[in-house]
Amino acid sequence: MPAERRSLRSNSKSDTSSSANGDKARSNSQNSGSNKDKATPTTRAAASKAKNTRAASSNNNQSSNMGEQRDQPQANGSEPTENGVNGSEDVEMGEDSAGAPTSSHNARKDRKGDEKMTVVVPPSKGSRLAGEKGQDQEGDVSMEGAEGDEKAEPEVDPKVKAVQDIKTNFTLLERAVAHFDPRFTLRVLRSISSMRKHITAEVLVEVIVDTYPSSNPTATFLLEAIDQADAFESATKMDIESDKAKLPAKESLPEIDTYLSILVQIYLYDRKDIEKGAQFSTNLIERLRTLNRRTLDSLAARVYFYYSLFFEQIAPLPPSPAAAVTTIRQPLLAALRTAVLRKDVDTQATVMTLLLRNYLSTSHISQADLLISHNRFPLSASNNQIARYLYYLGRIRAIQLQYTDAHGHLISATRKSPSSHSARGFYQASHKLLVVVELLMGDIPDRAIFRQTTLERAMHPYFLLVQAVSVGDLDGFLNIVNTHSATFRKDGTYTLILRLRQNVIKTGIRMMSLSYSRISLRDICLRLGLDSEESAEYIVAKAIRDGVIEASLDHENGFMKSKEVGDIYATREPGEVFHERIRACLALHDESVKAMRFPMNQHRLELKSAQEARERERELAKEIQEGDMDDEDAGGDFDAI
Amino acid sequence: MAADLRSLLTELHNALNRNQLDATNDLLSRAKRALLLQNALIPTPSTSPELVALGREVLEIGALAAIRQTDAPTFTRYYQQLQPFYDLERDSTNAGKMDFKTSQRSKITGLYLLLLLSMGDSATFHTVLEGLVEEASLKDKNVEDDVYIKYPVDLERNLMEGSYDKVWRETNSERVPSEEFALFSNVLVGTIRSEIADCSEKAYPSLPISNAKNLLFLESEGAVIEFAQQRGWVLRDGRIYFPVEPEAATRSEKDILVASGTIIENAIGYARELETIV
Repeated sequence: MPAERRSLRSNSKSDTSSSANGDKARSNSQNSGSNKDKATPTTRAAASKAKNTRAASSNNNQSSNMGEQRDQPQANGSEPTENGVNGSEDVEMGEDSAGAPTSSHNARKDRKGDEKMTVVVPPSKGSRLAGEKGQDQEGDVSMEGAEGDEKAEPEVDPKVKAVQDIKTNFTLLERAVAHFDPRFTLRVLRSISSMRKHITAEVLVEVIVDTYPSSNPTATFLLEAIDQADAFESATKMDIESDKAKLPAKESLPEIDTYLSILVQIYLYDRKDIEKGAQFSTNLIERLRTLNRRTLDSLAARVYFYYSLFFEQIAPLPPSPAAAVTTIRQPLLAALRTAVLRKDVDTQATVMTLLLRNYLSTSHISQADLLISHNRFPLSASNNQIARYLYYLGRIRAIQLQYTDAHGHLISATRKSPSSHSARGFYQASHKLLVVVELLMGDIPDRAIFRQTTLERAMHPYFLLVQAVSVGDLDGFLNIVNTHSATFRKDGTYTLILRLRQNVIKTGIRMMSLSYSRISLRDICLRLGLDSEESAEYIVAKAIRDGVIEASLDHENGFMKSKEVGDIYATREPGEVFHERIRACLALHDESVKAMRFPMNQHRLELKSAQEARERERELAKEIQEGDMDDEDAGGDFDAI
Repeated sequence: MAADLRSLLTELHNALNRNQLDATNDLLSRAKRALLLQNALIPTPSTSPELVALGREVLEIGALAAIRQTDAPTFTRYYQQLQPFYDLERDSTNAGKMDFKTSQRSKITGLYLLLLLSMGDSATFHTVLEGLVEEASLKDKNVEDDVYIKYPVDLERNLMEGSYDKVWRETNSERVPSEEFALFSNVLVGTIRSEIADCSEKAYPSLPISNAKNLLFLESEGAVIEFAQQRGWVLRDGRIYFPVEPEAATRSEKDILVASGTIIENAIGYARELETIV
């Protein structure tokens, strides 16, 4: 669904009700009723300005009314948090990415949606529901997710609102099941991050009590996890007169159960209730395993993600061989097997990355390698999962000295990495590794990498390292390694960096070979800080053999003589590089053609209109025929006259 | 049963010390059978610490015996079998319960690294090393604090760097940490000699035989001549002339043919792609 078109339409007032998001149009027009000056922003700039002021004011309201703490600057800071694309504040690398958008396109769409969403005052829940029922075109994705509600109704108590949001998401989940469309589920998952701050025990209890009849085992299961097992009794006492019209005791969807369970997991995680969360997740996974529903896949993937996250924090912590993470390998492998058999791509991808992370955390590299060689990572997995998979793959290959492979994987990982600020950890980690691998391959990374604001500080030690390697300064290199060894160890790049020593030497030799046509081995030895002339001789000989320099040695006189460097344009190299680039461009084109998405069932509309056209044509033909006959008749009559 | 094992173990120690390798092999299979009967060949957390220690010792002797017989596959097998024992050892929670003083873990691991190095399997070498580094940093130590590990690590670094003279000195003198490590020296010297020969072919136009003797770490000029003939070098006037690549001229001609072929192919490819796009 092309986002541009949709956003344009919903901004224009002449939005026809047959458009994909009639719902949006409705709310937009409502909006125009309530705030006259801001309602229909004529330009994008105006829109964003309106949004900012509005967001800020809503923030202010919230913080003054409810003592709500916001860690962003008031003026424009609300957008990143509220933007549900990938936004959650965990430090874990890409932790939010478990069930996030299927493609970068999706993310873009979401951002687009967010842009205009802020001005929209959504109708209250009841009217929205009515609106949804009233419109049969509702089947498409409209972007006013739960995020929109949050800013737009500052007067409402956040608790009530959170409850409302969660319930709104129920309808989305129901729709996902009814239409068998995973995009609704993804939207629900995306909204989690923005809702996260508001999740409290009370909110959860309220939702659970409202959703389930009191005898429901799922409800008891969930309530026990948050220490509110007796919530039903107290709730019924309170609600007894006010809320007679309780939900009919219908069977709730497993999707909704799972969604609530994820909320409980997040709640426990945010409260650092790790032990309990781990216990709860283990039970939850037992329950999940019995269900086999494709609409549950992306939710299940998220459940596994938090499951693993809990266990990662239980002592003994990972690098130790007896870490708690090793105990969940068995269930994860079982989950992987089940997911593969059920063609459950989401869970398969998530569990595979979790397993790799698990193995690497205890440096079981050969096991991780075996896992990769015995499994095929699903190509249709979500972008974030692919990025993480590629990162782990690159890491493993780098350790195994397959630098070219590692480089390719890491390049893709950095490119696919989500650019939102919450995934910065992943972005930095993959860049660090990439820089080291590039150095190991004998390349000097682009300086621009180190200038990016998100990377500048984190990458500083690596920047120094690159400088030392690029000038072939062995002493400086060793100094940097010693001073920053703690950082490198923490990043897990230390061993790789130690391998760089020979590259530093090679670069040094190459510099000398370029600048001197003839240099004595003794000078080489001094300049590189080597131990002996003999070593220098062997090292230079090896460099010549490896094709690092074009030179020859004279053993009797002890010097190195450089050969004339040939004209590179006389070789095939420029042609090859040219070909390489053209191929990359063509591949990019192919990929983008493949990545295009079209609205579902659009072809039916076309078919319908085609059919109509055909009918019209037939009628026309008939008319013409009849007309002809008339003519003839007329003619005949005329003749007759 | 444990008593049986212990007596077997003393016999094993004796046999190994007297270098009676056949007897050691016999004893080893008996000891392993005894271990199997006690279900201790693969230890579990519930295995009694005493048995774990005995089992480990048996396997370690097996590994050392295999090295002395220069039987790489057997050694690798013993190394793999020892891993569960060492995993128990790495587990810090077990530290109080079991006695690891007799463990020869670093020695066996060092030997394994050296074996990988001599076989040229540097991917596995680094994989194993990565785990060791991680573990050492956990204990706030450096891998190179351990003399048995330091030896192969240093060798590898020097080999990759090209400081062959250092490798030579390491293998040759009394720097070898234990007698088992010395068994690899011959293999390593062979490796570096062929490396040096490769490098010399490219780096020098010619070399006096006497210098070549030093460069290649050979004992006499006769050995140099023999070595040179093996590699097909030309000996003239007391100098070695390395064969120049003769095909340099003809290759360029073939090159052009191949190159023009690919260029035509590429250009047609671009045209076709453009066609589909437009």
